[in-house]
This record gives sequence, structure tokens and C-alpha cells, in this order.
Amino acid sequence: MDRFLDPSVLAGLSGLDLVARTVVDGFVSGLHRSPGFGFSQEFAEYRPYSPGDDVRFIDWNVFARTERCYLKRYRGETNTLLTVLLDASNSMKYSSHGVSKMDYARFAAASLFYLTTQTQRDAAGLIVFDTELRDYIRPSTRSGQLYRLLSGLERAEARARTDFAKPIRHFQQYLRRRGIVVVISDFYEVPDRVVQALEPLRFNGNEVLLFHVLDPKEIRPEIRQATTLIDLETSETLEVSPEYVQNDYSARVDAHLETLRDRARGSGMDYYLLSTDRPLDGALREYLTIRQGRL
Amino acid sequence: MGLLAPWFLAGAAAAALPVYLHLLRRHRADPRPFSSLMFFERRTQSSIKHRRLRYLLLLSLRVMVLLLLAMAFADPFLKRPAASTGGDKLLLLAIDNSFSMRAGSRLADARRAAISVLASRRAPDRAEIMVFGSGVHALTRPTEDSSALRAAVESIEPTDSRGSYGELVRAVRLLSGGARTPIELHLFSDMQKSGMPPGFGELTLPANATLVLHPVATRAEPNWAVETVDAPGHVWDLKKARVRAVVAGYHTPAASRTVSLVVNGKVIAARSVDVPANGRATVEFATLQAPYGLSRCEVKIDSADTLPADDAALFGVQRSDPGRVLFVHEPSDSRSPLYFSTALESAAETGFRVKSIGVDKVAGIQPSAYGFVVLSDIISLPFSFEKSLLDYVRRGGGVLLAAGTASARTGRLPVYAENVLESRYYSRDGAGFLTVGEADRSHPAVRNTDSWAGVKFYFAVHVNDANSQVIVRLADQTAVLLEKRVGDGRLILLASGLDNLTNDFPLHPEFVPFVEGIARYLSGIENSTGARVVDSAVELRTGKDHTASVEVIGPDGHQALSLNEAASAITFPLQKVGFYEFRRADGHVDLIGVNPDRRESDLDVAPDDVLSLWRARTGERDQAPAAESAQSPPQPHELWPYLMLLALGAAVAESLFASRYLGQLREDP
Repeated sequence: MDRFLDPSVLAGLSGLDLVARTVVDGFVSGLHRSPGFGFSQEFAEYRPYSPGDDVRFIDWNVFARTERCYLKRYRGETNTLLTVLLDASNSMKYSSHGVSKMDYARFAAASLFYLTTQTQRDAAGLIVFDTELRDYIRPSTRSGQLYRLLSGLERAEARARTDFAKPIRHFQQYLRRRGIVVVISDFYEVPDRVVQALEPLRFNGNEVLLFHVLDPKEIRPEIRQATTLIDLETSETLEVSPEYVQNDYSARVDAHLETLRDRARGSGMDYYLLSTDRPLDGALREYLTIRQGRL
Repeated sequence: MGLLAPWFLAGAAAAALPVYLHLLRRHRADPRPFSSLMFFERRTQSSIKHRRLRYLLLLSLRVMVLLLLAMAFADPFLKRPAASTGGDKLLLLAIDNSFSMRAGSRLADARRAAISVLASRRAPDRAEIMVFGSGVHALTRPTEDSSALRAAVESIEPTDSRGSYGELVRAVRLLSGGARTPIELHLFSDMQKSGMPPGFGELTLPANATLVLHPVATRAEPNWAVETVDAPGHVWDLKKARVRAVVAGYHTPAASRTVSLVVNGKVIAARSVDVPANGRATVEFATLQAPYGLSRCEVKIDSADTLPADDAALFGVQRSDPGRVLFVHEPSDSRSPLYFSTALESAAETGFRVKSIGVDKVAGIQPSAYGFVVLSDIISLPFSFEKSLLDYVRRGGGVLLAAGTASARTGRLPVYAENVLESRYYSRDGAGFLTVGEADRSHPAVRNTDSWAGVKFYFAVHVNDANSQVIVRLADQTAVLLEKRVGDGRLILLASGLDNLTNDFPLHPEFVPFVEGIARYLSGIENSTGARVVDSAVELRTGKDHTASVEVIGPDGHQALSLNEAASAITFPLQKVGFYEFRRADGHVDLIGVNPDRRESDLDVAPDDVLSLWRARTGERDQAPAAESAQSPPQPHELWPYLMLLALGAAVAESLFASRYLGQLREDP
């Protein structure tokens, strides 16, 4: 099954729907329970009435037999809302092999959308951003939503720079309903700023999952001679030495990843590092773990 | 510092090549895209700078190699003061071997002092032995070989030359001109006062030379000498031959000296003369009883002083019958032979008889039978006579040619091979005549005259004087007396007549000494006998004909010239006291007595203040060596070998860095 999850294999597929179906069908099947209690037909428990509870949920049959008020609770399916925030900055174009970070992010998002809309009947939406809010597809369970989402992913081309703070302020008006927010980005920003920008989503009751997409050569660059590097976002150039890359750069990247992970988890957000040379199952497994946690 | 070939500095422009290549290489390094430079800080440039430093070091080495090569080819040099380049010291031992060193034990004392100096010199010091009289001769090269130096000193013998300290100093200047080695000049001499140059500046030694005096005489010693002898070299009439001698006493008390006239070793006359203190006395011998032929004569005194070598004056005398002079004139000219023969007979020390003959009767006459020939205003000569006359001149004969109005009409001067360019007539009236403008008083023809003062010229011919020596010119620069050498003979041209018509010279008192001088000069007796001074020279031949050799017999009775020298030498230097015989190709034999320069007989030493000043000037230089070295001419020291070594080192370093740098490049994919 891993063969179908290999990013290089997925890159050879023609469309995102096929990519998503291949990934999801090969990985998981079945329904997921709602993270909260609702209007399901499956009984869950009885709970003594306390003032303020909705009297509509009192089991009057039990009251008739016992003269005590109990609330009857059911375990039913939820309408979980998935919103993917996709970073479409220029840095996402970087690739050291066949799959760029942007492609990998699309694959991951498409797989999540397919999993959510087709197998779990959840609502899913898409927000594409860089320094501004570039595209927004409202979460919905209507038929054809998946194709709208996949079309949105197709349109998302990497450009401009990354700025979390400014777009997030706009996100909040679209994220009034609680759900799962998946942020897919390479997070070339100071961890504190990233967390600070995303914390409002968490405070609104959303489950926030950070997918940190990086190319393996970004984590461990291979530079054997003095090389001039050009920043894809700022076009700034800098001549670097192999010694620095092998020593200082690696340490700084590791520190960045660790800080971002710690700061994200410290703020109640989940963090998962996606390397573009690894299969997508890790991303889906992480999502489903969170999804399960909401039951 | 300077450059011997500065144009090679243009090669330094090649240093721009590595700079260009390095810049071009950097320019071609394409930047690689990267997601973000967030984790690359500007401080990482420190590591880049480190790498650039090595890169720039490679560039610097390459540029340095090219610059050093350009500089090396430009041949820079450093001017170092002479004192700083000096190594060991050169002891220059100059020993006076002039005539005055014969007095007493002066030369022996000088040799002993020189050997003593050699014995006390430091081991690494080189030494050179020189002797000086009128000239300076090096007996050794600068060497440390003590035995060679000692042998050179012991081999020094006295000479008859005159000492000259000026010549010594000049030689030391030449010697020190090339090398800057300090020279310590040790002078062993009697410090004769007469050897000092007239100007003290001629005693200035070079900057790197110091003077150490070793005088072998400290005070003037009395000395009597025969200072001069006035005697005829040629005797025709014993009654007219007189010998006068001057006896001089230098720093001597008044004394009576016996003066003897010696002919061929026999005393023929003696006189006693009272010589005043530090003065002179003249002795005259009324007759010179010399036999026919050459006689070796001398005037001697009994001096009993420390320098007996100057107690005699030598001179050679040739006794013969009166010679004959062929006087050729136009038949109509009777005046010129009269004036000429009268003047010649009136001369005191000539023994010529004039044979006057018309030009129409000269055919068949051999000029070689006459002492010299006079052609007086001849229109033309018979061809055979002119030819024999030319042969006569080429072999050493002499001809006086007078060109009057008759010669001017033909425009051609026989024998002299010059044409008359112009006839110049000057008026007899008033002040229209011309007098002599300038005259060469060193020429024998006018030596004993008063430069023809007062002689009036009314006519003269103008000839081309480019090939002649002009002896006398008139006031309008017309050459009136000229000489031309033909072969070994002499031609004298008087550009006027001898007939008292074209000038008043025959009636003038100047005419007699002129004729006498001409007769002595053209007949050759001027140089053939008499006395000379040491270091003078005798002319062996006048022309370029080297087929005839001249045999010279020195005072020791041996040949003084080799066969090659006898056939080619132009002059012969008289270096020794004694009689020299010159046997010429035409059979003439000359006898010359050679005497030392009488200034050597004055044994007075130079004043102490002069010697102190001479010594003190070198001493001042010793006390201020720094100032001296600053003033001494710097010596160039070439730097190109060091630059080439530096370039080699830079090239090696460049290779090492380049291989290391390129090795890193090869590791990159």
C-alpha cells in the first residue's frame, strides 16, 4: 500500500481526485464518530438532571417509573468541519527532487478533503493564503464540494511571501464554526509569531493541526563549495560556505523545528513534520488521530 | 634605489590578468534558489570572508609572482655607501725610486721600512707594491702573499727619473676608481720638495684612501751638481767650439770645486771654480778638442757629497768638416744667394758652405751630397733633378723653398706639391706692408728669433695650408712659413722671397738666426747630438715608412730595441743616464748624452707644514668616517636575485594554494 502513498508515485497521477482516492482508499475506510453528543439514535448514557439542562432531553418514562429526572444522551455522528489553510508562498515551490513542497501540500490537502467529504461526510473548506487571503472555499457537505476543493487546490500556485498574522485576521470571520483547522505550510517564520497568529483559532474551539512541509534538502542541505543562494520569496542573495551549512545551519533548523513543535503543542495545537520524500500516510494518520480524539 | 631597465616595469600590467580571471570566475557562479535565507544570517559572511581570504590570498600570490618578475627584469639596484660595502683593507705601499733616492742609503731605508710595514700588517689585509718616479708602476697585484710582496720590495732599484707625487696621487685615484675597498697608502720617500706638484689640489687622495708617510729623509742635505752644460753638438771649427758649464750647490757652504772637461774618458781641461754658498758658478772651456767623429764628452766636478751621480753632465759631440748647402736660384737672381750665404756664414755654430747654382745647371747634381737644399723662387726644375730631390727628401733630406714672384707666375711650387692659390701684393708705401701676426716659437726655425718682429712683407703667395704645419702667419692670416713632412724628410716653404724685393727680411737682424735655425733643422744636426734629460724622447722616424730600422745602443752597450721595435717605433724614451747611439738607416749615427733632471739634485725636503697638511687632510677623513661615507659615491647593488627568489617562493606557495583550492572544486558534483 505504501507504493500508492509515495509522493513520487502520486506525482505521476493525472488529477488530484485520483490522487486523493488512491491515498484514502488505500489507507482507511469506515465512519468516525462525532466528537460531541448530538442527535444520534445510539444510546450513550443517563445523567441526572441539573438545573439549566434542556428539559427536552429528560426521559419522561424514567421519571414516571422513578420520579427522578434523568437526561437521556445519545452517541451519534457529528458534522465535523475541516478547514485547510494552505500556504501558497513562493518558498513552497522549492524542490530538490521530483515533488515540490507545493505539490506535496496539494496531495495532502486533497487526501484530507477526500477522506473528509467522501468517507466521513464531513464538511470541508479551503483557504489559500500567502501575505493575503487568496482563495476561500466555504466548508460544505453539498455534492460537488470535493471537486470545488480540488479545483481550488489546482488554482493555488505558489507566489509572494508568507505572512500568517494578516491572513489569519481575515480567516476568523470564516471560521465561526468550530472544527478542525489544518495549516499546511513550510512555516518560514519565527515560531512565536506562527503560534501567536494561529492561537485565536484554537481559542475559538478549533482543533488546530500544523503540517510542516519541508524538503529534505532544506533540513540537511548539501553544499560542498561556497555557493550563492537566492531567497525564493525575497530574491535576496547570500554566499554561504559549506562549513556553515554543515554546522550552524543544521543546528538552527533543528532548533527551529523543535521550537515550533514545542510552542505549537504548548498552545494546544498539534504539529506534524512532513518531509516531501516520505509517504502521505503519516499525515492522514495524524489527522485521524485527532479526529478520533474528538469523539 | 633605482632601476637599470625600467621599461620592463610595463610587464607589471600582466598583474591585471589574474585579477580579471578571478573576477570573471566569481561572476560566473550562478546563484542557487533556496526556500528561505531565514537561517542564514549576515554573520555567516565571516565564514565566507574566511574563504574569500584564501581566495584572495591565491590571487595575491599570483599577482605577486607577476609583479616580482617584472621588478626583477627591471633590474633594481640599491645605492650603498662605499664604506658599507668595504671589506678588507688594501695596503698600498708606494716606494719612491726616483734619482734623488740614490743619495746615501735612502732607497735601502725605504725598502726596510716597507718590509717592516708588510710584517706588521693584519693577516686578511691585502697589499700591493708600487714604485713611482716620473711614472707609477705596480710591481704586484693586490695579494696576501707575503713572500711575493717582500720579494717585490727587495727587487726595487733606483732609477734616473724625476719623482712626482702628483703622478702617484693620480695613480691612486685611478686605482680606487673601480673598487671601494679602503686603501691605506704608505708612502716611502725622501719627500723631496721639488717632487711636489705646483698645486696642492693635485695631492688630494680619493675618499677611501688614507695616507701614512714614511720619510727617509728629514732635512735637506748639501749637494753639488753640474746643473747645465752649454756645448755644441756639432763641431766644425775647434776655435769656435766653447763649452760652458754651471755648477750649482744646493744647501751647500761656499766651496771651491774643480771642474773637468772629459772627452772620451780623457780630461782635456780642468778649472777650479768658487761656488758660493747655496749658489751657482759658471765655468767656460774655450775649446773643445774633440777628434773627428762622435765623442762622448762630460763635465765633471769633485763634489764628495751623498749624491755623486749628478756630479757629471754628459753630452755628445760630432766633429766634421763643414757641410755643404745647395742653393738653387734663377740665373737672373743674384741677390738671394748672396743674402743667404752671408747669413749662414755669419752664424756662430754652423759649418755650412753654400754652393750657389743656377737652375739651368742643376741637371745631374745629386742632392744627397748636400746637407740640405734651398730652392729660391724657382720657376721650374728639370724633371730629373726634381725627381732626385723628392727621393732625397723622402730619405730624410731637407729642402727650403722660397716662393717669390717668379713662382707665383707659374702657379706651381716644385717639390712642395701645392699650387699657388693667390698672389698677395702689399704696398711698399706708407703702412701698406704686412708684418708677422703670429709665430710658433717652439719651431727650431724661429726659436732663436724674436718672432720676426719688424720684418716687412710686400708680397706673399697664398697656398693651401691644410696639409702643412703653419709656423708663421702674417697679420692677414696668410701663412708665410710652412712645413710639410714628406717621407722622413722635411720641406720648409717661405711664401715670400729671399731677395730683399718681396720683403726686407734678408736685411733684418732676424734673418741670421732664422737661417742658422733652418740650417740646423734641415740638416738634422738639431737632434743628432748634444744632451737630453731623462724621460725625454728622441724621434726615430718622421714618416710612416717602417721599412728602415733604427738601431739604438743604450748606456750599457746593448741594443735597446727589439727588431720589431727598431722597425716600427716612432720615438724612443731616454730613461737612463748615459750615452745613447742612434744608428739610422741612411748611415747617420747620432750620439746623445742623457742626464738626470737637475731638480732631483736639490735634496731639500718638503716643509713639515706641507706634509702635515697633506697628512691631516686624510686624518680628518678618518675622524669623520660617517660623513665621508655619506659623501662617497654610492655603489649600486643589484636586487634582482632576491626578487627572483621571492618570485620562486611565491610561485611555490601559489601552487600549494591552487592545488588545495582546485581540490575542493573537484569534490563538488
